[in-house]
Amino acid sequence: MRRRRRSLRSLRGASLLRLRIGFLIIAMVVSVFAVRLFELQGIDAKAYAARAQAEGLVHITLPATRGTITDRNGVPLAESVSGEMVVADPTLTAKHAPAIATILAHRLHLDYFDMLERLQAPNTQFQYLARRVPAADARAVVKAVDAQGYAGVTTRRDPIRDYPAHDVAANLVGFMNDQNQPGDGEELVFDNWLTGKNGRATYTESGGNRIPLGDNSVIPPKPGRDLSLTIDRDVQWYTQRALADAVRGSNADSGSAVVMDTHTGQLLALADYPTYDPNDFTAANPDNLGSRAVRDVYEPGSVEKVLTTSALIDAGKVTPRTKIVVPPFVRSSDRIIHDDVAHDTWHLTLTGVLAKSSNIGTVLADRQFKPKQLYGYLRKFGLGEPTNLGINGESAGVLPNWRGWRQINQDNIAFGQGVAVTAVQMAAAVNTIANGGVYVSPSIVKGRAVTSDGRVVGSVTQSRHRVISAKAAKEEAKMMVAVTGDGGTGPMAAIPGYLVAGKTGTAERVNQQCHCYDGTHTVSFIGFAPADKPRFLVYVVVQHPRNGGFGGNTAGPVFRRVMTYLLQKYGVPPTGARPPKTPLEW
Amino acid sequence: MSSSVTPARSRVPRLAEAAVARARLTVVPRHTNRATRVPFLALVSLLLVGGIAGLLLFNTSLQQASFTATALEQRANLLDAKAQALQMQLARLQAPQRLAERAKHLGMVPPSNPAFLRLSDGAVLGKPQPAGTTEDFRITPPPVGKPADLRPAPIVVTVPPSTSQAADTAVGSPDVHASAGRKKADQHQTQNTQPQGSAH
Repeated sequence: MRRRRRSLRSLRGASLLRLRIGFLIIAMVVSVFAVRLFELQGIDAKAYAARAQAEGLVHITLPATRGTITDRNGVPLAESVSGEMVVADPTLTAKHAPAIATILAHRLHLDYFDMLERLQAPNTQFQYLARRVPAADARAVVKAVDAQGYAGVTTRRDPIRDYPAHDVAANLVGFMNDQNQPGDGEELVFDNWLTGKNGRATYTESGGNRIPLGDNSVIPPKPGRDLSLTIDRDVQWYTQRALADAVRGSNADSGSAVVMDTHTGQLLALADYPTYDPNDFTAANPDNLGSRAVRDVYEPGSVEKVLTTSALIDAGKVTPRTKIVVPPFVRSSDRIIHDDVAHDTWHLTLTGVLAKSSNIGTVLADRQFKPKQLYGYLRKFGLGEPTNLGINGESAGVLPNWRGWRQINQDNIAFGQGVAVTAVQMAAAVNTIANGGVYVSPSIVKGRAVTSDGRVVGSVTQSRHRVISAKAAKEEAKMMVAVTGDGGTGPMAAIPGYLVAGKTGTAERVNQQCHCYDGTHTVSFIGFAPADKPRFLVYVVVQHPRNGGFGGNTAGPVFRRVMTYLLQKYGVPPTGARPPKTPLEW
Repeated sequence: MSSSVTPARSRVPRLAEAAVARARLTVVPRHTNRATRVPFLALVSLLLVGGIAGLLLFNTSLQQASFTATALEQRANLLDAKAQALQMQLARLQAPQRLAERAKHLGMVPPSNPAFLRLSDGAVLGKPQPAGTTEDFRITPPPVGKPADLRPAPIVVTVPPSTSQAADTAVGSPDVHASAGRKKADQHQTQNTQPQGSAH
């Protein structure tokens, strides 16, 4: 009995101990839970709440559409189309590659064997099948693949920048590269202007459907602004083709052509050859990107005589009938200046000097100017400073300061050597004559636009200033008509029925390696029509023709074709004026 | 001190006793409302059930609208993509190069001289000329030559001049083969010198 009692007591003691230990363990466990609870509710609460909310929450970027680049009539030269890339997971497609490749080849006109290779590419889960496919086509092909029960072909967003006119104005418009970054041209210069602001949408989703009354917020995208150029696409196309034909025909290096509306200074075409197709920019030669007409500088040659003689007339030094004795050569500093063709002493009027493009005659007339005077006129004609068109890589040209001129410098500059210009500069300068003596700065952007570096450009910002008197401009225009007439250097530029004012140019080219004249030439023709009431100015420059051609027979026909097209397209009838009868000789 | 307190204490209840007895409150007899509760309960339950059912229906219709919205949105996207693709196709078909090539294919040429007819008096302005091929020029890029790997070197076979003219007429004469071979080789050579190489 006593023993039993004792054992009972010890038993009770043992159970008490167990109970205590049990409580202790429970307390420990509960406190761990408590700590965890505190951690969850007190410390990490926000993060978990956010994660809970994010479950089923969808964030998508609403891409902004890039602005369209159009010509003056609103015809798109570059436009954005929603596109998709078709991609494959070869681990899924390898088994059915031939069947899938057949569908792809049929629907998207892709190479069957190329597709086969990509669909079976080893050790990868990602292969491009096609890029920049219009979204409708891409989805249709994926649907077709899915319908056959094959998995592993999907699409992703891949916006297309389409250039529907291919190489037309490609030198101006530029291109977007495969990273969807601007590569060149106006795409690059006006990138900020064209790029919109992406929007954002956030909503809760379940099974592909939005949950009503769930989180839902949309910030709509802000599309980019459109850019309108002053280019007329059709004129640009025609000019490019006519120029290309001449450059290929004369086996020349390159060529540029500028078409300008005389009164407004707007460029209707700015053509360069060779050029490229921005839809396939990877195939382009890097030299052909960008616009030679504003980038490359060259010595204009005899075309410059228009500026020199009109300045002389404006200053009252000469008249179109001024008689000049033109010897076979003339000394200048330590050099001798010749004419293009060897001749005995000519008796020419100033009109004759221009019509026959006599260097000596121009030099002799120009010697009535002091260096500062000629320099002042040329600066007012816009030489030696960029035109601020809004095209990347524009050159300022080179017009050396008059203080450093020797006799030979002034003589050379008078007929267009020792001075360098861009094609657009020269066109704008001669346009002053066509526009009654008032210089209009050229423009390529219609209206107003802001470049990415903050410059405001466009047809509304252009400037005008008078360079020569209206009378001097009229007389110069009359003299230029003689160039396309009998006895002139540019009869191939004449358009029957119209009075065409023009000037040929054949200049020696400076070699960039030796900085010397290397015997190659720049040939050009500039002109406007109708001469007595000008509407358009066309300037054609061909670099290094290898067929021995000169301005009149190489660039002249391009001028005639483009001008004929312009006069007809814009319905400019002949004025019916008779050609001036200023004698060339005396 | 205690003696002064005690009488005061006992005096107060005595004084108030009658008043308290008089003013004792009795319970107001219960007023039993005999009006039935059924309509009220019915109204409340109706509101409750109606509310719940309404909410359910509202929610369902919202869901339904969401499905419709998703379907319509997808359709709109697809149609938008289609429209853009068609727009792009149209722009490409309108490209001047394509139109010019088709016009040329029809035998059209650029006009040689602009001329105008004034409708008011029928006067002809400019010097009209029949369009000819003089103004025509190439509008397509020149064909690209074959790469060097695809142009085998010309095979030049030098054949000694035949000694007798009579031998030429003999059938199976080696000279006939030789001259034919040379002719073929020459042809080959001229074709290879052409940049197009399109004759192949």
